[in-house]
This record gives sequence, C-alpha cells and structure tokens, in this order.
Amino acid sequence: MGVLTDPFVQNAFMQRALIAGILVAIATGVVGTLMVLRGMAFLGDALAHGVLPGIAAALLIGIPSFLGALVGAAVMIGGVSAVTRRTRLSSDVAIGLLFVGMLALGVVIVSRSSEFAGSLTDILFGEVLGVGWMAILWQAVVAVVVVVLAYVLQRPFLLMAMDPDQARVAGYRVGVLEAVLLSMIALTVVVSFSVVGTLLVFGMLLAPAGTAALLVRRVGAMMIIAVLIGAFSAYAGLLLSWYLDFAAGASIVLVSIGIFFVVLVAQAFVPSRQPHPEHA
Amino acid sequence: MGRMRTWIAGVTAATLLVVGGLLAAGCGGASGDGSASSAKPQIVVTYPVLGAVVKGAVGNRADVQVLMPNGADPHEWRPSARDVAALSNADLIVENGLGLEGGLRTAIAQARDAGVPVFTATDHVNVRTVRAGEGADPTAADQQAGAKDPHIWTDPTQMRAVVAALPAAVKASTGVDISATARAEAQRLQSLDAQVAAVLNTVPPAARGIVTGHESLGYLARRYGYRLVGAIMPSLSSQGQVSASHLAALNTAMRTAGVRVVFAEIGTPKQVSEAVATETGATLVELGTHALPADGSYATFMMDLARQIASALSNTGGK
Amino acid sequence: MTTPAVRCDDLAVGYGRHAVVTGVDLVLLPGQWLAVVGTNGSGKSTFLRTVAGLLPAVRGGVSVFGGDPGVRGASIAYLAQSHSAGFLLPLRSRDVVRMGRWPLRGLVGRLGPDDDAAVDAAMDALGISDLAEQPLGALSGGQCQRVHLAQALARAADLLLLDEPTSGLDAASRERYLSVMDSERARGACVVSATHDVREAARADLVLLVAERVIACGPPGDVLTPRALADAFGVVLSGDTGGLAVLDPHHEHDHDHGPGHSHTH
Repeated sequence: MGVLTDPFVQNAFMQRALIAGILVAIATGVVGTLMVLRGMAFLGDALAHGVLPGIAAALLIGIPSFLGALVGAAVMIGGVSAVTRRTRLSSDVAIGLLFVGMLALGVVIVSRSSEFAGSLTDILFGEVLGVGWMAILWQAVVAVVVVVLAYVLQRPFLLMAMDPDQARVAGYRVGVLEAVLLSMIALTVVVSFSVVGTLLVFGMLLAPAGTAALLVRRVGAMMIIAVLIGAFSAYAGLLLSWYLDFAAGASIVLVSIGIFFVVLVAQAFVPSRQPHPEHA
Repeated sequence: MGRMRTWIAGVTAATLLVVGGLLAAGCGGASGDGSASSAKPQIVVTYPVLGAVVKGAVGNRADVQVLMPNGADPHEWRPSARDVAALSNADLIVENGLGLEGGLRTAIAQARDAGVPVFTATDHVNVRTVRAGEGADPTAADQQAGAKDPHIWTDPTQMRAVVAALPAAVKASTGVDISATARAEAQRLQSLDAQVAAVLNTVPPAARGIVTGHESLGYLARRYGYRLVGAIMPSLSSQGQVSASHLAALNTAMRTAGVRVVFAEIGTPKQVSEAVATETGATLVELGTHALPADGSYATFMMDLARQIASALSNTGGK
Repeated sequence: MTTPAVRCDDLAVGYGRHAVVTGVDLVLLPGQWLAVVGTNGSGKSTFLRTVAGLLPAVRGGVSVFGGDPGVRGASIAYLAQSHSAGFLLPLRSRDVVRMGRWPLRGLVGRLGPDDDAAVDAAMDALGISDLAEQPLGALSGGQCQRVHLAQALARAADLLLLDEPTSGLDAASRERYLSVMDSERARGACVVSATHDVREAARADLVLLVAERVIACGPPGDVLTPRALADAFGVVLSGDTGGLAVLDPHHEHDHDHGPGHSHTH
C-alpha cells in the first residue's frame, strides 16, 4: 500500500502535481464531454495547438504565459469563425490550416532564442512536476467556472449539438453559446497546458470523455465518469512517472488513452445487452 | 437518477478527490524535508563534469549525487519525478548556472523556494562574454556581444575557482568542513592546467582556429590562446537553430581562416556537419565536450579533450 | 377573427438578395395544415426556414402569430431535413425525445410528470415506446426519424415546421405520422410540412406547390392537378407504379379520412 502512496506522501511537489492533475481532470472531463457530444474533436485539437504562439510570445515579452495563451486562443477562435464564415472552404480545411500555421508560428517564435528551447518542451509536454500554487489556484477557478457553465448551459449545448437550427428556433442564442463553448475549451486548454502540455491536452479532453461515452448514456453521468477517469489517470500517470522515470505529463495522457482502448476492446467481447433493432 | 442528483453526486465525488489530495498534503507532514537516511549530508550536482570536480573537492565528507547520466545533453536534459525529489531533499544543490541546465530551471527554482541552498558555479568564475565579431553570425540572439557563456568546465582554472568557493557554501549549508580536500583538488586542477597547456601549445598559433558544433569551447580558447572561428549552430546551447545564411557565412569564415577541422559534438545535427565538412573540405572530428570519459575523471576528460584538439589541428597542417 | 398562425404577403424567400421562390400569398389558421410540395432544390426548405425565422425574407412580409418569425421560440417546433451526424449517439431515444420539453422549462428547471406524460404520449403516437432505452446509434434510419418526430411532437407547440418528416419511413410509420397530424390539428396546432410526397400533401388543408416559383396555392383538390404537377415535377405518372409518387386524377378527396382509417392508393 505504501508503494501506491509514498511518492505523494513524502514529496510536496508530487502532491501539487496530483492536485493540479485532478483539477485539470475536472475541467477537461466536463468540457471534453461537450466536445465529444458535438463532434468537435478536431476543433479542440486545433485550439490546443493554436495557443502555442500566444504562450511563446508571452514568454518572450515577459508576461505570464497563460495570458498569452488566452490571446492565442482568442485569435484562434476568431480566425476559425472568420474563415468558416467567409470562405467556401470546409471548416476542416480552415481549422487545419489555422492550427498548423499557429503551431509553426509558435515554434518560430520560441526558437528565436535558444534560452527558450527548454521552454518549448515545457509548453508542448507540460511541466507538472514544477506546478506551483498560483497555477493550481487558476486551475481551481477555471474548473469551477467550467462546471457551473456546463451545468447551466447543458440543455442548449446539447440541442445545438443535435441541430443548431432547432436550437435557434427554440429561442437559444446559438451564436453567443458557440462562443461560450469555445471559450470554455480555450480556458481549459490554457490552464491545463502546465500539466500535460499543449500537444497532449487534447488527449485529456478526448480520452476520458470518449471512454465515458462508451460506458454510459446520460450526459451528467458521462461528465462524472470522464472526471473520475481523468483524475485516476493523473494519479496513475504520476505513479508511473515516479517509478519508471517516465515523463509525467505524457504518462498521464497515456494512461487515459490506455483506459479508452481497454474499455473499447472489452466492450467488443461483452455480448450486447440490447436486442437487435427492428427496421422501420 | 434525476439530473440534479447526478450533478450533486458528481460535484461531491470530485470534491472528495480534491479534499483527499489536500488531506494527504496535510498529513504528509515532513514532506520535502526528507532527511537522508545516512548521516552524511547530501549534495546534488546537476551534470557529470561538474560532479567529478565536486566529488574531488568533497572527498568522503558528504554524499555527492549527480543528476544527469553521463552522456546526457545538459542543455536539454529534463528531470524525472525522482530527480525532482532528490533536488527537493538535498542539503545543497550545486548547479552550473547561466542557463546551462535548461530543463532543470523549474525544479531548481522549486527547491530554492522550499529552502534548499543552491550553489551556482558561474557566480564564482571569471565569466566569458561573447565578443563582437566572434563567430560567424552576429545576428543570432545569443551571439550578440555580451552574451554570457556557461561552458566553464573546459578551463581548469575556472573549475579551480569553483572549488575554492565551495567549502564556504558546504559549511554554511551542511556544517561540514571540506577545506582540506578542496585545497588538494585545487592543487590537482592547477597542475592539470599546466599539463593541458603543454599539449595545446604544440599547435602553432596560426593553426589554432576552432570550429565546433555549438559555441562550447570559449573558455578553453580564452585560456590557451585559441581562436573561435565559428560554430555550426551559432548558439551557446546545443539546442540552437541552423539557418542557411549562417552556414554560408561559416563556410566563408573557415576558408578565410584556413580551418580544416570541424569539431562535432553533442547535439550537432549530423547531416549539417557532414555538409559543412564536404563543402569546405574539412575533416569531421567527434569531440566529447560535455561528457566524462569511462574513468569518470575530470583530469582524463581535459587531457583527452586537449589531445584530440591538438592532434586534429596538427594533422591537418593548417596554414 | 383569430390571428393567423402564418401569414405571407407577396413573400419572396431566398438567400441574401437572390430569391428562390417569389409571390407567396397565404393565410394559415390555427388547426390547419399547409403542405409545401416540390422536388429537391425547389425552395420548399428555404420557405420553411424563412417561416421559422432562420432566414430573413428577401421581399414581402411573413408573420407568425401576428409577429415576426423566430420570436415565439417555445411555441414553435422545427424539424430539420437532415440530422447532424456529429451528434454522439449513445444518448437514449427517450432522452432525445425529452429534449423537446427543454425550451418549456428554461435552463435548469426540472422536468415534471406533465413532461414525462407528453414524452410518453409522443413516443406512443409514433410507435417507438419500445425503443425508449435504445441508444440513438442502434436505431435504423426510419426509427431515428420517428424519434426526432416524437421530439417535435412532445413540445406540444402551437406551430410545427417539419422538413421532409416522412423521409425514411415505411408505410405503417407514415400512417402513424398522418394520424399524428390529425391529432395535432385537432388540438389547435398549426402544421407546415415540406415534402415531395404528393400523397401526404393530398391530406393537407392547403398545398403550396413550388418549383423555384409558386405554381399553385390552395386546397389539394385545386392544386394537385396533373398540369400543376407536371409543372412542378416535370412528369406525371398515373396508375400505380408501386413506390413512385403518382397522382390518380380520379381520386378526389371528397370523403373523410377518419383516424385509424388506413388507405393505400
């Protein structure tokens, strides 16, 4: 039993890493469920990468990196909206181009000084072992904000997922709500990158929620299961990192993805509980 | 299950998890304090070359642990969770400074905040700054005049200065007195300096132009009268970037200076160095500038380095 | 005089400045059913979306319950032609139908017994009660369509706007749909459906036949004539060719289709 708790009990930085991991799991579990339900996976990935130039520029200027991340996210959101609205390009193409462009821009900015080369790795892969109480505070704030918004707005979000037109006719302000959802994703990405990095935060958004979608059918339960899986991934990932000297952030994401595939494969072997649907 | 109840259950579960984590923090008690199981103080050094010197200076009065494995690139190496723990639990951390240990920045800052004393080697040396006109690319950010070079270990006299300053820090942080062993180490470094000079002096001054993978031999050049002609990566770090214009400038500089050897080292992109060698007709020599030899001795490290440089530059004749 | 549910005055619908259908004049009273008939691309979806308030009118006027379209949100149910494939499918059909009640309860108001009753009734009317626990992804196209229909029905709206409501439905399901239309109208709701199924349109109170312009507008008997249909569809087939939309010019709707009266042409 000590093996499973000693690294945390004996080291303050491991405790902080775990708390940060759990808070990130809460935010990404809730937001990730909404993204999965809406089929927004690609956009989420794009947003996660899109914040890189913002972070890099912030580092270069000397302001806190999460501010830069917010700006980067805003630019990304605005860019995606503008491109999809004005051109005939499918949104996939637009989003893909934007995010690769932002990623490349970020690398260029960061590589201007070799002093920041180490920072690039931190940004891309996270530095959960170095997370401080300020970062944790922000993560807690965002987690609360995200949970409250998801609770209050879950009905319009789901209606929009099913049919935006229907949501509009029913009286919901779809444009505003889209922006709110994108902002929730952006906020989550911004506070989570210190834990798992921008390259991998997408995994935290998608894997626990995807697993939950395999297991349960009600949205509230999906979110809870996603959060629990994410929290467990944080715990197990940190343990793996400790005992096997694996990179911490990547271990956390790897555990969450591993859980997804285990459940996916296990389900293939469990006989279906449902009778075959009759045809209409 | 009603939606409201689902939500309440969810929030409760999440809160329990966080509270549990915080409780672990509270009950963790003496976390971050973990005194060493042995009676000896724990000194943690960041990279192996510095570690060899510190071990020589400390003798067996304290346990010296080196974080990075030999052969790791100190510019980019990142610590594992247990490495971070070692730093947090150390009685004294010995680091190079001047941004050498890029991947350790956060971990060392964290340890410092937790009250672990940190001894920065470069605080006690005669720091070399990049001079205008040195190297081939004045536009690279860390090649601007005035940029500080962290590669102090290629000059035994700088290491001697480090060793001279160490006893005070060790005494203050651990109460242990290492002045005797430190003095002996300083002596050894003094004679090493003479031996290295003897080897490097065999190369005629005209042939002392050095081209390296990145700008790592600045201190050696300064101490022993060699010239830095340029570097494949115009950077004080192995993580620098190469640009086409820079390579062209480097080729020209090499031709002008009559340099016929390119010293590739850790982090140098193989294809780029081969291309430069082919383009200028130079010989490519692999130089271990950041790692200790098999016997783990700093003296062997410096002598090997000196001999390799001397033989490479002598053999190609120079101008 | 009752406020018309839908009123169009020389309405032109389209995108931006480009009108797809012009000159629509009609008044639809509560309890009436307007069928908009035409082929794909004829403008019937555009018309429906304009009435729903999703598109601005290009010219002319349209009012819904005396006001602008798109204002009385909770009392309008809209069913789109195609359903987002991106919507994750593990939700149970019962939950999807329940979504129809949400606009009535605000953001966080709990759904009560009334809502459950409406949901049950809607699912029963469309014959999908036994599919309640099934996830949407396990259903066939026709079953899925009925779930979405049930969702629109559960709203108990004053105005139903349905785009191709019978697509993918077999004959039995179509009959259910038709009796649902009857009971909605009996309740006082107004229905506007866009369809290319002429048989369905024949059951409506008012038919608007469009093919990038208004061809005819009026009671089915007046509108669904061979000549008008030729204009709209380009071809008229008489006689039963099994499965194709055909018009039997001798079958006039001078007799009543009571509820439960199954009738094949």
